[in-house]
Amino acid sequence: MRLIDCDALSVRQINETIHRAVADGEREVHLQRPGARHNLAVAVLHDVRIVIDGPVGYYCGGMSDGVRLEIHGSAGWGVAECLLSGSVVIDGNAGNGAAASIRGGTVVVKGDAAARAGIAMKGGLLVIGGDTGYMAGFMMQRGRIIVCGNAGPALADSMYEGVVYVGGEIAELGNDTVVTDANPEELAEIRGALERYALKGPDAFRKVVSGRKLWNYDKKELDAWKAAF
Amino acid sequence: MCGIVGYFDKSGSVGSPAGAKLLAMLTALGRRGPDSSGVAIWGEPADGLVLRVKGGQRRDEPTIREIIRRLRRLGRTRVTAAHGSLFRLDIDKAEPAECVAAIEAVAPDVEVVSLGRQLEIVKQVDAPRNLETEFRVSRMTGSHGLGHTRLSTESRVDLSHSQPFWAHGTPDLAVVHNGHITNYHRLRRIYEQEGVRFYTENDSEIIGIYLARKMRDGVSLAEALEASVKELDGSFSYLAATATAFGYAKDPFCLKPLIVGESPGAVTIANEEAAIHAALGGGYRAREAGAGEVLTWEIPRRQSARPPRRRRAA
Repeated sequence: MRLIDCDALSVRQINETIHRAVADGEREVHLQRPGARHNLAVAVLHDVRIVIDGPVGYYCGGMSDGVRLEIHGSAGWGVAECLLSGSVVIDGNAGNGAAASIRGGTVVVKGDAAARAGIAMKGGLLVIGGDTGYMAGFMMQRGRIIVCGNAGPALADSMYEGVVYVGGEIAELGNDTVVTDANPEELAEIRGALERYALKGPDAFRKVVSGRKLWNYDKKELDAWKAAF
Repeated sequence: MCGIVGYFDKSGSVGSPAGAKLLAMLTALGRRGPDSSGVAIWGEPADGLVLRVKGGQRRDEPTIREIIRRLRRLGRTRVTAAHGSLFRLDIDKAEPAECVAAIEAVAPDVEVVSLGRQLEIVKQVDAPRNLETEFRVSRMTGSHGLGHTRLSTESRVDLSHSQPFWAHGTPDLAVVHNGHITNYHRLRRIYEQEGVRFYTENDSEIIGIYLARKMRDGVSLAEALEASVKELDGSFSYLAATATAFGYAKDPFCLKPLIVGESPGAVTIANEEAAIHAALGGGYRAREAGAGEVLTWEIPRRQSARPPRRRRAA
């Protein structure tokens, strides 16, 4: 196990040290005193465990493929952005755009995730233990989002595909969404995911999917023009 | 970008280390904008008024003499500090509006940077680290304060366009802002027709003026902040405070970052958690403010930093 004290190092030095350690065959790296700095542990392309002991700034773990990242603290904007595979688990709250544009892997926010969580997701799983803010799942294309708490306004607005499960209240649905109840099979899957990360969710979840009305656009449809302008 | 920070000591004591905390927070956020920086701190109440005045482009000495000459017609006045073209003045008793009118009449480029019984604003054209060299900010004490570090995007870089902004004419009200107010020109035209003088072309200047006009009609800071989320357009995170309240407002689309970190003893707010971490070290839970969110704290009844005066028995 490699221990890195971030305090006296630049972000570039921290990331170079991680990448060198991983290239040397190290399978576990611990970062101490991260000081909520940006861009920590980005672009880690191997199946290694990275533990960050404290809060992180923007884009932590972004562009990674295969990493198993644990953040013992809160995270700023865009945590795990564009993750390809692996997992990123945040003990605390996450800022705007958590798991933005991920293509695979699992991102877990044990606290609350702020606005635009899971925006433009193209695969993978985002689990939120608490509440999520404005426009979660905006324009998502594939993948799943599980929200144990409440969801803010404009939930899953203009989603193409994918599924959002919400255990709590939905403040307001986004455009072109359809709500049903999650079936027993889906509930079992949700329960499995929550148990894996020691999260407790409610017993029932509602399921939000695309209404697919925005997929095609009929230019002769007057109402659509009226709505657009 | 721009970095904004706020610190509020829950004890309400005006002897709290607001200056040192704000400086640590601004230093952590300095990379968000090194063009100019400043702090607003609410400290020990003065018997009269404390003013910070920008002396103007002309040679400062005759200008400041003229300012003092005019203020002395209103009350006992003395200069208590000078930093370049920024002067600190004490006046024992005077109407705020009369003070502002007297000072602004000296020359077109003479400006009142701050005025109040408790509020003091110091700012400069340079990164936050120079605030300490110039103003010894780490020694300034107060129950609460705001800080700003600027990346100029739409107006010039000089002392006048630096933040925090005092809400012209309203004692002890100031703001710091990160973002753009896109209905600025429309609002400015309305306010100018009503006689408001703007010092700058910085859109952030309008927020304090907006809040002051709301509060003049009798609403609280919290209510004024709530109204602003509906009436100001654009992307914004801003902090505002008076001698008795402290709070923030965030735009309805959540376009600018704002993190709140509350510990048992203090409330800290900043664009990035790095600043909160710099102020508190640990023992807080960070949370991003939500879309259109407004939150305020009342400052507890003031405790004097001075030892209480002993009263002789009759």
